[in-house]
Amino acid sequence: MIPLEKIPFAGTVPSPQTENEGMITGNWRTRRPILDVDKCTDCRICWISCPDSCINVSDTAPLTFNLKYCKGCGICNEVCPVGAISLVPELDFED
Amino acid sequence: MTAQGLFQESGLKQITVWARGVYQNKEARDVVVALTEAAALEGKFVQAWENYVDLPDRIYVPVRAYGKISDQEIESRYVYENEAPDIVALTEETLVKGVDILSGIKPGAVLVINTKRTPEYVFKFLKNGVENLGTIVTVDADSLAKSIITLSGAEGATDASGIGKGTGAVLAAAIVKATGIVKFDSLLQVVANKNAAKKAFEQATVVDAKTLVKAG
Repeated sequence: MIPLEKIPFAGTVPSPQTENEGMITGNWRTRRPILDVDKCTDCRICWISCPDSCINVSDTAPLTFNLKYCKGCGICNEVCPVGAISLVPELDFED
Repeated sequence: MTAQGLFQESGLKQITVWARGVYQNKEARDVVVALTEAAALEGKFVQAWENYVDLPDRIYVPVRAYGKISDQEIESRYVYENEAPDIVALTEETLVKGVDILSGIKPGAVLVINTKRTPEYVFKFLKNGVENLGTIVTVDADSLAKSIITLSGAEGATDASGIGKGTGAVLAAAIVKATGIVKFDSLLQVVANKNAAKKAFEQATVVDAKTLVKAG
């Protein structure tokens, strides 16, 4: 039972630190998001919009995608204001 | 508990069709229903149903539809999943990657995929169960027919949309080309999209998987 003072403002929480290994959903993906680093302005709209929190941001490196859980929904591609994220068919990649 | 070894059914052929979530349920159902209806026209004993274990189905989740065709009465009528498929069909190409589609296949099994890519390229992604694989068939279903997206007939309700209007007919024709499990004329009587089925029968690429194993 969390006391009222400890509940974070506006219900925001830090990025998830744990994964649920019991539900690995990477094989649901039919298209993989690919970042064009030159276009990315680091606005972080994709990071906030991803329904599964599959985008990792850092202050130093370009953002990366958590391909173990990314389901290829394409929301990051839709919301990116500069079109830096494109969706490539998953079978193009052999890994 | 599995049914392995419970029933000695020598004439039984099992078909497993993998599809993606909500929007390809109809195509998977079309493939098994078209093949089993065609077999029923020839007097065989058949069963066709959809998998309930994969549910709740959401968009992109791999789901299955099953069919059984046999020349004798099917004793394993209540076994819920096809444990030893002779034919595995994929309505979407990415299912070869990360999904265990070949588990339990019988020796000489046939894998049919709806893809624009070559069988050699797709073979690279198959990891488990390749020893028993006999043939790989690829057919470009999206160029021959338009995929039908409908919820009519889903989860056992009455199907008002007809059998084989879209890419399901193409896949069923490719299966018939590779295995001859039913006569092609019987299939043509059952599916609605006869032109696509005929074109698929000519255009499907059939490759012996043993040659691919040696090369790769």
